[in-house]
Amino acid sequence: MQGAPSPGWLIVRQSASFVLRERTVALLSLMFVVLVLISAWLGWSATSTVNRIYLDAAAFLKSAGQPVPTNPVLDISPLSLMRNMSVYVALIGALSAIVIGNRLVGLDRKAGVLPLIGIRPLGRDAYAAGKIAALIGLILALGAVAGVVAVATFLVLPAITLTGLQWAQLAGFMAVTTLYMGIFGLIGLAAGAAARSETVGLLVPVTLWLTLTFILPQLTANLNPTAAINPISALAIPPDTSFFHWAAIVLGPVSLADAYKFASAGLLDYLPQGIASPSFIPPVITLVLATGVAAAFAWRALTRLSMTEGEYNV
Amino acid sequence: MFDAALIPTRLNPTPVRTIAAKDIRDALRDRFILIVTAFLAVAALVALVTGAIALRGDVATYEAAKASLLALGKSADAIKAPEFYPLRLLRGAIEQIEIIGAAIAILIGYRSAASERGRQTLALMLTRPMRRWQFVAGKALAGIGLLAGGLALVLGGLTLVLHFLSGIGLGADDLLRIVVVWGVAVAYTACFFLVSFILSLHMKQPSHALLVAFAVWLTLVLIAPQIGDTLDPDNQVAGGVFKQLNIAKPDQVEIMKSFATFETVRDGIEQASVTKHFERFTFAVLGIKATYAGMPLGPILIEMLGNLVWIFLTALGLGALALALPLNPDRLAKA
Repeated sequence: MQGAPSPGWLIVRQSASFVLRERTVALLSLMFVVLVLISAWLGWSATSTVNRIYLDAAAFLKSAGQPVPTNPVLDISPLSLMRNMSVYVALIGALSAIVIGNRLVGLDRKAGVLPLIGIRPLGRDAYAAGKIAALIGLILALGAVAGVVAVATFLVLPAITLTGLQWAQLAGFMAVTTLYMGIFGLIGLAAGAAARSETVGLLVPVTLWLTLTFILPQLTANLNPTAAINPISALAIPPDTSFFHWAAIVLGPVSLADAYKFASAGLLDYLPQGIASPSFIPPVITLVLATGVAAAFAWRALTRLSMTEGEYNV
Repeated sequence: MFDAALIPTRLNPTPVRTIAAKDIRDALRDRFILIVTAFLAVAALVALVTGAIALRGDVATYEAAKASLLALGKSADAIKAPEFYPLRLLRGAIEQIEIIGAAIAILIGYRSAASERGRQTLALMLTRPMRRWQFVAGKALAGIGLLAGGLALVLGGLTLVLHFLSGIGLGADDLLRIVVVWGVAVAYTACFFLVSFILSLHMKQPSHALLVAFAVWLTLVLIAPQIGDTLDPDNQVAGGVFKQLNIAKPDQVEIMKSFATFETVRDGIEQASVTKHFERFTFAVLGIKATYAGMPLGPILIEMLGNLVWIFLTALGLGALALALPLNPDRLAKA
């Protein structure tokens, strides 16, 4: 006979299934998936348009008796076709992860079931571990969908073949992408557990995301906020002044959006020559460290959650 | 339930003002408006100061290069002096209003509708002798008034900083341009306030409405401009595709004629976003876009009239929708 599932596993299963039933989570996740598909199409469309412009321009230059330069498309790695995905992950992927993290604990608090869970033979550690495991599962699923789209795009497009190294780079990009969404999911989980109201639990991580995405890159590299929507514009050499040198030293290690875009550009081969991350810590290491810190916050908030109070304490 | 709409004789002439004043008092009493306005002000100030520091760095580099050339007995004409238009330094701040200002408007719209539902006071308020549209209008006016006040504080503060930071001060024409930008920024953020307000008032769960409003924000503010930006062939190659191919401007126009449909689709995607209209208008008025730098305000306003109409019509359309939608009694209480 099959034994009863462990309490921790029950928490994982119940949390994940409840969150998946939420329409807003479904809406944001669907938006993310659609945008990942769009990013693949955008990469292909933009590259093929440049190629057609080149062919027209080459014919024009030839007829004018001028020298024809090499096709700029040939200088671009096929992996860079996926560069728009890094923008969508930084925008909607991170936001979806925040909402998933928030709802994982927010639903229990809103439904007032914490006292009921509290009287079950289940430690707080098991509850916290269950919630974090559910988050990891859901973020991995989002990452897997993005990965499948990326792989399918490269398999479907006939003119593109990736080398073994490039497939490994793509796998690395998907791992970094999942890690980045995981950081925001953990922050959403921590804020959802620690906040006194449902709204604050959502607003704190969203404010943090706005700061990391649109304000810190200005301080570290004088990048205007709309640069965040262009994977190429988001990579720039900081002005050569002592302010930006110091800003890079102090803020570089916490500028997660910068770390993600430089890690993505490196892995997808669209990092322009001579440009490097403003931080002295390598981007991937920054993201791994941030995951550890966010996990610690989430663990602390979840294990300190009062199991005697029903709804939000407001 | 008591329906105030059926007894017009008891209508108070000022319920809109009463509701608006009450909402503004409530908003100023808690620290939320103060906190979000301060957040926008910090974001905009960071943009202004970092832009000024970068420009100062460019000037220093230019001066050093010029001194080196002169010391070698060569002409300094070979290097281009950095251009300085003080209002251009507002670029980052305008982009912050475009992104974070719109997000804050969504939060204010959500709070405006959700506060009454959360306190279970919506049904109570509707028992008062007023029409339902007056309740909605009062709330909307209060929210837009708060946005206008917050933006006035932010842009006023930036103007002061810019006046002293630029070293040459701002003239009356500069101030007029900033006032015009403030007016359009109020209309632009009002669009997002109204989207969030309508959703939060009518959706079953206000928290879901907040997330849906953020999905709209993502689509209009970030995704539509992103798609338009990415599909621009010149953004696909470092430095621009035509520059890399050494093709002159008139020839570029000739080549791009065969991509007219593609360009129409690309522009259409951008045009669908009210954010892009706000950006085009403000960048022209402030001379951030190089072609408008130094141009008088009148001709810019005439050229940018289409963008202006789009922004105001969007705000008015959403305002009319907010007033026209009947309040559902099932949505009167906290979900």
